[in-house]
Amino acid sequence: MNSRFVDAFCCEWLKKRRSLGAWLVVAGAFFTPGIVTLARLIRREHLPTLYAAPEFWTSLWRSSWESMAVFFVPMAAILTTSLVVQIEVRNNCWKQVHALPLEPHTIFLAKFAVIVLMLVQFFLLFDLGIYLSALLPWLLVAGVPYPQASLPLGTFVGDTALYFVDCLPIVAAQYLMSLRFANFLAPIGIGFLAWVGALGVLSWQHANLVPYAYTMLDYLGDNPAARTTAPTSGLQLFALAWFVLLTVAGYVLFATRTHKG
Amino acid sequence: MLCLKTTGLCHCYTSDQPILDDIALAVPEGSVYGFLGPNGAGKTTTLRLVLGLIRKQRGTISIFGRSLDTHRIEILQRVGSLIESPSLYEHLTADENLALLQRIHRVPRERVGVVLELVGLAGTRSKRVGQFSLGMKQRLGIAAAMLHQPELLILDEPTNGLDPNGIIEIRDLLVALNRDEGTTIVVSSHLLAEIERFVTHVGIVHGGRLLFQGTLAALRRERVPAAPVALRTGDDPRALRVLADAGVVARLSGHGIALAAMPPPSIAAVNRRLVEHGIDVHAIGAVEGDLESIFMDLIGSRAA
Repeated sequence: MNSRFVDAFCCEWLKKRRSLGAWLVVAGAFFTPGIVTLARLIRREHLPTLYAAPEFWTSLWRSSWESMAVFFVPMAAILTTSLVVQIEVRNNCWKQVHALPLEPHTIFLAKFAVIVLMLVQFFLLFDLGIYLSALLPWLLVAGVPYPQASLPLGTFVGDTALYFVDCLPIVAAQYLMSLRFANFLAPIGIGFLAWVGALGVLSWQHANLVPYAYTMLDYLGDNPAARTTAPTSGLQLFALAWFVLLTVAGYVLFATRTHKG
Repeated sequence: MLCLKTTGLCHCYTSDQPILDDIALAVPEGSVYGFLGPNGAGKTTTLRLVLGLIRKQRGTISIFGRSLDTHRIEILQRVGSLIESPSLYEHLTADENLALLQRIHRVPRERVGVVLELVGLAGTRSKRVGQFSLGMKQRLGIAAAMLHQPELLILDEPTNGLDPNGIIEIRDLLVALNRDEGTTIVVSSHLLAEIERFVTHVGIVHGGRLLFQGTLAALRRERVPAAPVALRTGDDPRALRVLADAGVVARLSGHGIALAAMPPPSIAAVNRRLVEHGIDVHAIGAVEGDLESIFMDLIGSRAA
């Protein structure tokens, strides 16, 4: 790996320290598990039965992912990407970044890699949160047994990886827009509208062509009650194609700007 | 040898409004080059072009004898800059802000402490920049620019926001950098008085055109022959009448009588005439204007 890229990446990673984007990743990842934990502690009388059920983990996994796939993952991708880029705009630092002895592609990819890694962090923390939401009631409430069912770790890791790939087009689209617009309300507003639009076309047969819809389609695809008509097989290939296309478009726009900072 | 050289540098933001017109900077190696001009003259645009922050439309830029177009990375490794307001991450500490750059420039970690000491911020290295005053931010911006001991330092209005004491400190720091490390410094300002004490060369830009370029002494020499004559007598109203009769254009000014510029023999003739008419001459001579008035005069006469 290019040593200049490593330096630029470390530099970008340090920039997000104590930033709103960094806090958002932690807060967003633990929000749903926190709510699940709280709900269980409040309705503690059902816990012994729930924890003894053979489908305990899959049920917890699915209910936790409901809000994540539909709302929190797209929002995390939209907000994290925009906020990380906004660090440069808000601090008037683009001009310094462009006056550093770095190639444009190094600057572009280093920041993009940090955003992607923050999302990996988001997913891993969320998975940890799910596990803790199962563990805490067992530790805190008397009479609640440790879940009888074995932890389907392979399924969890596989599902997490698929959802991660699903959100990559959103990250690439938001990165493109955040680099293009100095006012961070523009990418966030457009991203939010695109997410609402994706929600609206979920029942459309070509919803699998909409880059903001993949996490939702992936979640709803397993649910026979959901009224989705788009094919849910090969969603990740579409997602990866959008990701590559939007990343290349974003770089072209970034590298060909006449005014840098 | 020239450290920075531009030829035919032109720039337009809109097709009919040239911001820069044929700017040919020549910054000698080891000099402290004052890039002067009123607000909106084109100083920042020129410096942004020199750093590659704006895409060049016409002309050439070479730094250290190499073209910026083909050796950008190599050149930027040897250049430090502060353009307009300092670029600092307010959620990070002073130390962290410099650590970012230290990593990119691959300089020893100790250098962070050294530059913070130089700009008088050693005691605030763990304080978040968001809590800094404007002057402290400006100092930190200068520290960031000189972190990697660049051979060329480009500073756009570096004393903005500094108090008089801070201005003197930064001026002394730049003089020391130039003297001890041989750093070539390009410093822009709209106030000549602020930089005349430490620059060796001056470039004056106005309306996108370079009106003067050369040493400070050459600037003084160029304008002295055209300096007006000041006269103080024992009876100014009568002296005015005598001068009018002799066809000498004169007017009362705040400190006596002001006459148009004239060669030394003419000054002597004026003196003789006044004495012959019984008027005491207390003082007479060409006014060697300070640089500020030369600067204003230059902008007024050449830009017209």
